[in-house]
Parts: sequence; C-alpha cells; structure tokens
Amino acid sequence: MNLPPQLETKFQTLETRYPVKRSALIPMLLYAQDQFGYVGDDMIEEIARRLDLKPLQVTETMAYYSMLRRQRAGKFHVQVCTNVSCMLRGGNKLYDFVQKKLEIGHKETTEDGVFSLEEVECLGACTGAPAMQVNYDFYENLTIERTTQIFEALEIGRKPETSTPISGSVKPRHPAEVPVISRLFGVKDSHKLEVYVANDGYKGMERALKELTPEQVVDEVKKSNLRGRGGAGFPTGMKWSFVPKDSPKPKYILCNADESEPGTCKDRPLMEMMPHQLIEGIVIAGRAVNSHQGYIYIRGEYRYVLDIMDSAIAEAYKAGYLGKNILGSGYDFDLVTHTGAGAYECGEESALMESLEGKRGYPRIRPPFPAVVGLYGSPTVINNVETLSSAPEILRRGGEWYAGLGSAKNGGTRVFCISGHVNKPGIYELPMGFSLRKMIEDVAGGMLNGKKLKAVIPGGSSCPLLTADEIDINMDYDSVAKAGSMLGSGGLVVIDEDTCMVDLARRIMHFYAHESCGWCIPCREGTGWLRKMLDRFHSGAGRAEDIPMVSELAKNMLGKTFCPLGDAAAMPTISIVKKWRHEFEEHLTGKCPYKPAEVFAAVR
Amino acid sequence: MADSKDITLKIDDRDVTVPPGTLVIEAARRMGIEVPSFCYFPGLSLQAACRMCLVEVEKAPKLQTACTLVAMPGMIVRTNTQQVHDARKGMLEFLLANHPLDCPVCDKGGECELQDMVFTYGADKSRFAEEKRHQPEQKWSEAVYYDAPRCILCFRCVRVCDEGMDVKALGVGQRGSLSTIIPNGEDHLDCEECGMCIDICPVGALTSGTYRYKTRPWEMTYVSTVCTHCSNGCKTTLSVRNNEILRANNRDLSGFNKDFLCVKGRFGFDFTKHAERVKLPLVRRDGKLAPSSWEDALAEVSRRLAEIHKASGPDAIGFIGSNRTTNEDNYLLGRIARASIGTNNIDHHRTADYASLIAALGPQAAVASATMTQLYEADAVLLIGDDPTEQSPLVAWQIRSAIRHRNARLYIINSKSIKLLRKANGFAEVPAGGESAAVRWLAGGDAQMDSGVAERLAALKGALEKESNVVIVFGAELTGAAVQDLVKFGSSLPGQTRYIALGDYANSRGASDMGLLPGMLPGYAGVGDARARDKFGKLWGAKLPDKLGLDARGMLAAAVNGNLKALYVVGANPVKTFAVPAKDRLGKLDLLIVQDLFLTETAQLADIVLPAAAAYEKNGTMTNTAGEVQLVRKGGDVMGTRSDFDILRILSHQLAKQGLGPAISLRTPDAAFDEIRQSVAGYGVSMPTLLLGEAERTAPVSTLNGNAKFDVPVGAIFSSHDTLFTSGSLGRYCSTILSLPEAAEEVEVEARP
Repeated sequence: MNLPPQLETKFQTLETRYPVKRSALIPMLLYAQDQFGYVGDDMIEEIARRLDLKPLQVTETMAYYSMLRRQRAGKFHVQVCTNVSCMLRGGNKLYDFVQKKLEIGHKETTEDGVFSLEEVECLGACTGAPAMQVNYDFYENLTIERTTQIFEALEIGRKPETSTPISGSVKPRHPAEVPVISRLFGVKDSHKLEVYVANDGYKGMERALKELTPEQVVDEVKKSNLRGRGGAGFPTGMKWSFVPKDSPKPKYILCNADESEPGTCKDRPLMEMMPHQLIEGIVIAGRAVNSHQGYIYIRGEYRYVLDIMDSAIAEAYKAGYLGKNILGSGYDFDLVTHTGAGAYECGEESALMESLEGKRGYPRIRPPFPAVVGLYGSPTVINNVETLSSAPEILRRGGEWYAGLGSAKNGGTRVFCISGHVNKPGIYELPMGFSLRKMIEDVAGGMLNGKKLKAVIPGGSSCPLLTADEIDINMDYDSVAKAGSMLGSGGLVVIDEDTCMVDLARRIMHFYAHESCGWCIPCREGTGWLRKMLDRFHSGAGRAEDIPMVSELAKNMLGKTFCPLGDAAAMPTISIVKKWRHEFEEHLTGKCPYKPAEVFAAVR
Repeated sequence: MADSKDITLKIDDRDVTVPPGTLVIEAARRMGIEVPSFCYFPGLSLQAACRMCLVEVEKAPKLQTACTLVAMPGMIVRTNTQQVHDARKGMLEFLLANHPLDCPVCDKGGECELQDMVFTYGADKSRFAEEKRHQPEQKWSEAVYYDAPRCILCFRCVRVCDEGMDVKALGVGQRGSLSTIIPNGEDHLDCEECGMCIDICPVGALTSGTYRYKTRPWEMTYVSTVCTHCSNGCKTTLSVRNNEILRANNRDLSGFNKDFLCVKGRFGFDFTKHAERVKLPLVRRDGKLAPSSWEDALAEVSRRLAEIHKASGPDAIGFIGSNRTTNEDNYLLGRIARASIGTNNIDHHRTADYASLIAALGPQAAVASATMTQLYEADAVLLIGDDPTEQSPLVAWQIRSAIRHRNARLYIINSKSIKLLRKANGFAEVPAGGESAAVRWLAGGDAQMDSGVAERLAALKGALEKESNVVIVFGAELTGAAVQDLVKFGSSLPGQTRYIALGDYANSRGASDMGLLPGMLPGYAGVGDARARDKFGKLWGAKLPDKLGLDARGMLAAAVNGNLKALYVVGANPVKTFAVPAKDRLGKLDLLIVQDLFLTETAQLADIVLPAAAAYEKNGTMTNTAGEVQLVRKGGDVMGTRSDFDILRILSHQLAKQGLGPAISLRTPDAAFDEIRQSVAGYGVSMPTLLLGEAERTAPVSTLNGNAKFDVPVGAIFSSHDTLFTSGSLGRYCSTILSLPEAAEEVEVEARP
C-alpha cells in the first residue's frame, strides 16, 4: 500500500522507535485515521504487515480505543463533553443544541460529510466547561452564541480561535497561591527552552547529574514528602527506591500523561506551558534509578499538547539536556512521546503499559509490580505528569524546602482544578493542606449566582462526595481520607443546591460504564447494570427497593474488581445514596423534582 | 513425597503441603476444596478476571483471587466464610444480569458451568429489572457458532486459540459491557477449525455446528474411545443417542491428549452415517454388485478362497490389512492368512518404519520409545521431516505445550517451511528428500552435502549436543538404514534419547505390531524364526509358513501378472493408495474381497464387499504411533454392518469347514486381546490401567537382536501426507469437515501437480 509521504515517514519513525515493534500500533492507527478520516480494512492489513501482526490483533486492539473508528467521520468531528464538570455548566444543553444545529445524533455524520458528532467523556477542559473538541482543537467556555459562531466559521472554511492555553490556567494569581510548578503559567513563550532556562530551568537536573549520586537523588525526593499526584498519593521517593539497582534489563521511566479523571485538567497546562519542566523531572527520575529511556504516554485527545512536548524534546536534545552525555555528566537519557487513543482505563499504570505495548488496555496481574516487572517486562518507574514536574524544584531547592511548603507527610504544593458551580473556575497552585472551604469561598470566588453549596467532589469523580457540612477540612491526602474521601487527582467539582444528585450519580455511572475495560465481571457488569438502573430511576420509574440495591450492587463491586476502576465507580455512588438518600426518595413520585432535568441523549 | 522445599499453608483450618509456586486454587483442589472459577484454566495464562475464586487471606485487607495467589509458608486461607460466599453470590448475580437465561434451549443446559455455579453459589432470586443486552447469534463456520449474550467473557477460547493452538483466530471486540469475542475473518473464522474453543467454553456461547439443537445432554450416553483418524491416539468421548453418534469431544480431559482434540477428532465422526455407507454385503452377479445376505456372502468367500487354495496353493492368495482396524482385527487377519490359508502374503499401507526403529534400538527399544506424555516432558525435541501440525496434531500440541509450559527447545530438520518453525530454536533446511542424507551426516556417515546444508546441520548438531533427554520425532522420510543412522546419532546425545516414529492412521502402529507384514509375525518376530513360528503355530493350531511373503506392491504386481489369484482387502484402498493404474484394475484376479465401510476405488472392483463396522462401532484396542495401547469402545451402531472381528471370526469357521485351518475360538475382542497380551512381545500391559481409560505403553522387543536388515525397499513405506482436513479414503465421507472452507482450500492445494 502506498502511503502519503508524511504518513510513510511517520510510520517508519514509529516502527523503529520502540524495543518492541507492536508498540507503534496505536499511534500508527491514530495517525492513519488523522490522514484518511478512519481506518479502513486495507490500512489494517498494511499496519499488520508492517508490525508482523495478524489483522485480528490490529482490529481487536483498535476496537478497544474510543477514538479509533472504522467508519469515516465528518471533515469536522465535533466532540461535546457532557461529563460532570461540563454537565454542571450546561454541557447537555450544548450537546442538544449541536444535535439540532447539525441535525445529527451521537456518532452520526451529516449527509455532506462535513460534520460528525459524538458525545464524549471528560476532555480535560473542566475549568473551561462546557467544552468541545472539533478534531483536535479545544473550544471552551462555550455559550450558544459562541458555538454558533464556531460552526459558522467552520462552514465557510475558516478556523475559529481555539481555547489554548486551557481556560483558567492563565489568570491573575490569587494571593494564596504558591506558584512552584505553575510558576511560568501566563509568561510569554513559557514552553520555550530559553524562557524555561532563564527561570531556573534544568538547574535541578544539573545538580542531580553532577553533584548527587542516584541514592542522594532518591533521598532528596524522600525528604520532600512528595506523593503521587495521579491520585493514589504513594510516596514518590519510596516508589523510586523499589527499582532494583542491578537489573540485566533496561529500566524505564514512564510518564503517565493520560489525564482523564473527570474534573481534572492540570497535566494539560503543565505540559502545554512548561514542557521542559516535565522533561527535566523525567531525567531526574531516570538518574535516580539509573534508567536511560523515558516515555510520555499522552492521552490521544491532547494532540496539540503532544506536539508541544515533541518540540520541547527536540529543543532539549539540541541543547544537550537529553541524549548522550547530558551536560557533560556522562549520563545518557532518551525520551519520546506516545499517544493514547481514548481510554480512561489506560491511566491505570499497568493498563497504560499494555497500551504502550500496543495492546488492549487491560490492567495486569500484580504482583509483580512495575518497579520490578513493568514496561516490556523491565523495571519501570511510572509517575504522573504533576509528580515528575515537581522533581526539578525539589532538586534545585532541596527536599526540605519543598516539604515545608505543605502539611505533615504531604510535601509541597498541589495544582488544584476547581470546576463546577463557582464564580472563578480555574487552576490554582496551593499548598498541600489548604482549606477546602477557603478554596471554594475565596480562591474560586464563591458559589455561582449566589446559590447554596450542596456537594463537593474533592479529587475527581471517583472520590466519595462531601456535603456542604463537610468542607472544613485541609486538602491533603491524610485529612481528606480522614473525612471519608480522597484527595485524588486534585480535580474539585463544586455542586450547587439546584443539582439533582440522582442525575449526578447517573452521569458518573455512565462514565465508568463507558470506560470499564470489560476484563473483570464485577466492573463490566456492575457498572452497566447500575447505569441502566440509575437511568430508569432518574427518569421516574424508580422503585423503593432500588435505593438500597444501588448501594448494594456498588458494594458488590467495591474491593472485588481487578483494578481500581470498579472502586472508582462504586465509591461516589455509595456516598451519594448514603448522603442524599432523600433525593432518591423524592424521585419515587415519578419525576425528577430538580430544575431542568436534562435528558441524557447518548445511545451507547 | 514431601520435598524439603515444599511449603505448608492452611486452607479452611487444614494444613496442606505443596511444592513452591503452587497456586492457592490448586492447593485447595488438592485437598478436595472447590474454589469456583471460570477464567482459570490449567495450562492457560492467568487472568483473575472472573473474580469467582476470591478467598479470604489472613492479614490481607481485601479478598484475594486464589487463581493468582501463590501459596506461601504459613499462609492462612479461608474459602468458606460469609464474606467469600457473598462475593461469589454477587459475582454470579452480575453474570446473570445480561445472561439470556435461555437454558431450556441452550445446548449447554445440563452440562453448563454457569448453571452449576449458580446452583451451588448463586442467589435464589433475580433482581435485574433492566433491559438485557441482546445480540443475534453468529455463524462463524459450519463447525463453530457464537451466541454473544450467553458469553461470560472468561477469554478461555481466546487463550486456547492463541496460546494453545498458535492460531489466534479469536480476539476481543469492543470494550466494557459491550465486549464480545470476535473471529479473525470479521464475520467468520479462518482457522484450523479444531473446535477447542467450543469444548473450553464454560457456557453455551460457543456451540458446535454438528451438535447444536440436536438433543439434551442427559439423553445421551457417553463412550470414551480412541479417535479413528491420525496415528496420535487421542481420546475422544462420543455422545451417543439411540446408537447414533451426535458429538465427539474431550471435555472430560481424559487420555494423554487431555484438553486437546483436532478438527478430525471433534467433527470427523459423521462418516458413520454417510448416505453411501455400505449396509449389506454385496456380491458381483453378472458384472454388477448386488445385495446379498451375510450367510451367502461369507459362504461364497470361503468357498471361492478354498477353490483357489486348492487349485493354486496358499501363495496365490494375499491379504492387505488396515491402518484403522483394531489390534484384535489385525491379529485375526494375520492368523487367517498364516494359519487358515498358510501364506505370508500379508501387508498393509506402511506409513512409518516402526520395525526398523525397534530393530535399531535393540534391547533399548522399550525404554527409548517416547510416549506422548514423555514428548510433553522433553527438554528438547528434534523433529525430522513430517508436518505434525497437519499430520499429527497432538504431537504438534505436545511440542507447543512443552515449549510454552516448560521452555523446551525445538530443533527442526525439514525440506518445507512447516508451521512449527515459528516455535523452533534451530532449523536446518534440507533439499526435498534430503532427510536421510542429513541423518547420515549427523551420524558421522559419508553423505554428499551441500555446504550450506552442512553448515546448518552443524549448528543444529552443536545445539543438540548441549541438550539432554532429547525426544526425536521423525516421519516417513526416514526408513531402513536412515533409521539406524538416526539411532546412532541419537545415542551419542547426552541423557536418554527417546524416539517417536510418525505414522498416518489410528492403528498404523498396531497393524505393524500385529504382524501385518510379509516378513514378520506379531511382535516383530521374523517369519524365518522357527521358535516364533512354533509359538504362534501352537497357539493357532497350524504349521505356519516360513517363506517370505509378498508385500503390498508385490501383491498388486502379482495380481496383474496373474501369480496372485485372490486378494482379501480389509479397511484399505490399495488401488488409490498405491496408485494402481486404471487399466490394470486388478483384472487378473479371480477373487477380490473387500471388507470396508464404503465403496472405495478398490471396493468398486471387488467381487464381494463385506460391510464393516467403523472403529466407533466396535470394541477392541489400538496402539498409537508412540506404542501406547488404549481401549476402543463401541459408540454407535449401523444396522447391517458387522465388526471386522466378527467377520473374520466367522470366516475362520467357514474356512475350517472347507478344510482350511482351525476355526478361531476367540469369541470377543477382549478375549483376543488377552491372547495378544500373552503372546505378542511387548503387549503384556496392565488391564486395570486400560480399563480405567488410560493408555499403557508397550515394551517392544526385536527378536532380530540387532541383526536386522535395514534394506527397506524404496517406496515400501510412505506417508499419504494427510492434512488437518483429510483422512485418507475415510476423509472423503466426513461431511462436516468437507464443508469447511479451509478443507476446500486444502483439496485445491492437493489437486495441484
């Protein structure tokens, strides 16, 4: 099969990029789709041939990823997010509007082939909700007027102005903020090497490479009390220390940039505006465990971020911050990016590795843990973008300094994304342990339209929800855990009094049912069952016995699934039934008592 | 025996000691404690997906999957607590949520693992009030159907197809609750059609095209017997209703083939009810074969044989026996030839040179014969010639399993790119027909060798010399002196080298062992050996001939030149097998008798056709190509046919009446096997083992004591090179297999010059 020259070059690069050829599969499929609008049968054969796979291996892998399609989409593929943060800010209304405007529904294409529509899960634009993507371009803070203008522009072939950088990441600093890893947000050309270097960039790495032994690097990170920012909060220094010192196999640093927890959009600006900080952090991690190869797995929707990362990596190579003998230290490190293709589950570390190896993103059996047997069966450190982005300043200014910024055992700062019903949704870097109440009432400018607070999702949609009475807590891992929830990914979603909690539970379950990988029974069947049940319940056909059953089914998933996705679906559900049971009872009258109960239109 | 490295843990308050690395689920099973599971399947990769095997482990915060948990010293496991029961109940409730519960019409009803689990662990009521997911049933091939709503996504089928079969025809489509199994051809299967996916499916998601909607499992009886097709001797369980075979499978994991069965073993039973089956004896009248009664036909056979015997002597009569009849049938045929008629003109289509192998091994013959199990246990395998994936599917499975479970190494010498090359650690490609020379070279003999080939052989030899306990598997490419060379080379390797010669058909080995050979009595005693002649002569009540008989080609030639007057063919199609030109048509024969299932090319020429029962319709024993004996048990029955054993036994009585030899007094195959155990060297096997359904290895001995002549004539031993979808003449009547598109491809390939 003859490919367009650019795609051919891309394929050739990908085929030799990885130690295992198959790793190139998902990027190849996505790039081919970018070119042709879909992946046809002849392309499947071609890719299979190039990667020594059977066509079935290609089709079954491809079937897993929601961005990959075998039918042609429109020239403009419109993806409207209706997940929690967007829903709270009118995402459903927007989706209805777009459906009417284009006269097509979910996964349909206009007759002229210009537009296709898809209702999608969280795009990572929560602080700019409601949001949509047209192809890879983000459009945020959408109103009906703005959306109309966007379509008008697209129709006449003009590209509307996109929403980059992410809304809410560039704004006047709140005085309570402690900008450490977001310190260049809003600075012109902050993504460029010269700007980063002029602002203490690569100093931490230089120290790690030239002044410290790998053990000392690990110690510095241990001292910082840095804990994993992906959500689990595992001490980073300890994680690094688990990697065996002597390994006959290569070791890998894997950066988890598959940000997709609803309510979370911090990794996106961190990579967009400070890509060099992430590169520096990855090299530091590499030094700490004596690894020489890193990968950044970026969710497929963040294509422009991937392009920015690629340019930054190229700059870094050119300037000697990557590659052989970095800064004359004798230490070598190589780094490449890798695109996902639409799968929340691939944010789970072992599923991410499977995905990076070109397979369906199923999680792996543990033990063995990634530190011992990870990517390509080799010892692997896998950390979130925010975690790795924190390493440079820790190395430059010392672990103790960093630890001192936060609360006990919770070092440093956290990049919080505050979305939902607040006046100033946005991305705020605040010290660990900052008051939740102050975050909502002060930092985020208080409740939108003066409404009363009903509930808070403290760290992404998998966390148990907090009531308005439970917000006098400090936002660090231990305090939020004590309050019965989780600090999670730092994605706060603020929910006002007018919101229907049954509807919210329903929407959250839709997400997990959509994203369940299908590997284990309780998650696969449990999320699907609960989704149907909550749909029915919210539409007015609920029965009294359904209320305890919702939490019972959720509990039957809890702690019994293969990976944490089942827990993630169960925990918010259990908390909503427990804390807002009366709202379920109110629905037994036959209709939703809350204001505009918007219809969830997607057919899935 | 407890090893010092063994570890002791406690399951449900009882101690159990297991080898290190044992999974808790296996440790529990060892104690008789059932830990339920769907996705766990011994021999396949671990999944921990179905979550049925969750158990409590002391000090663990959550329930743990027993299928992935490795037993540790002092571990305390509980499988019988309220928490565990609740978890199982919860999982089953999830599984049944979208399950169609169409058990009344589901083929699996009555033998379904999901039914059994719900019965034991499930809830007593259904709480699912939502709409069930529905998908229409899909036909993937004539052999395999998929019913997605019934599928519980345990992925056993996907794994057995990929890991076990190395085919990878099944994958997973979609994700989450929409996940479904998909075939490699989008809407159909393009594979080896082994049907392993059907047997391994715990529910009725994958069903068999030949069996679906035919019956209920409790309406059938189950007969465990030996597959009638290739020489590997897989156990297959026939499901029989009213004498009709409706299904063959190996779900009970019996026999050395355990979970394995190929397309022929699973779907190749329907020849038994093929419309062209001969169901009445046929006697040629006025040039045409006309139906006859058994009495008349057998009387005519004996009368005419006696006439020829009288007129032209015993050596004017010849016998060609079968590769598919039982040991007892073959034993009787040999006895009729040698004791009733008094000739050594007896042979069969020889497909492997067992005689030379046993002779070359001499006193080592018993210990150096590898069983199918020993093949799996080999550290290294040397494969010379043949294409086991096509011709000996179990051998290929055993080799693949040894590689995947035990990291065994595989070395291949072949002139073709066979599929097993994918798994090979070393490969020496030789020119077509160059296997003998390669072996001679390996044994240090004088062999003209292309330098490239010699280089590859040297590399292979170097690698093999570092191995020990190698099992050497070879095809019909090696015969006579080449086998001697092979044994010479094999003996030079470290440890105990063992051998398997690959023949073509279910009882190829048994035909040879039972003396369907012109120069050998049962047990490889030469016809020139007076003591052996005496022994069998006494047993059979006759003086046995000592003159070397004609082999099959010799008999066919003699039939043309008029020296052979009568030919008695049992379960063979020599006209086709030995490519007898149409013009010859065995025309000079006065009498051609064919005992078979169908009117084969040979039977069409016959004067008398005796309709025989198939191997699935009779009792007896068969010996697989590795020399392992197993019981053959009667499953179906086709009215009008008779077993070869009965036909031959009755014939002996008829012949006795004509003054030819003593009548055979053995009334049943079992009685005959008793005599075989007493009289045939190497067959003194344990009856209890056989009766338990297991295989017993024979201990062949060669009376030639190393003084063998290895000059097997060229062309005396050859393979038919059957594929997965062909099975000699019998394969032409296996309708289901022939209906598979893959079979059509094979036939096309065969048809090419």
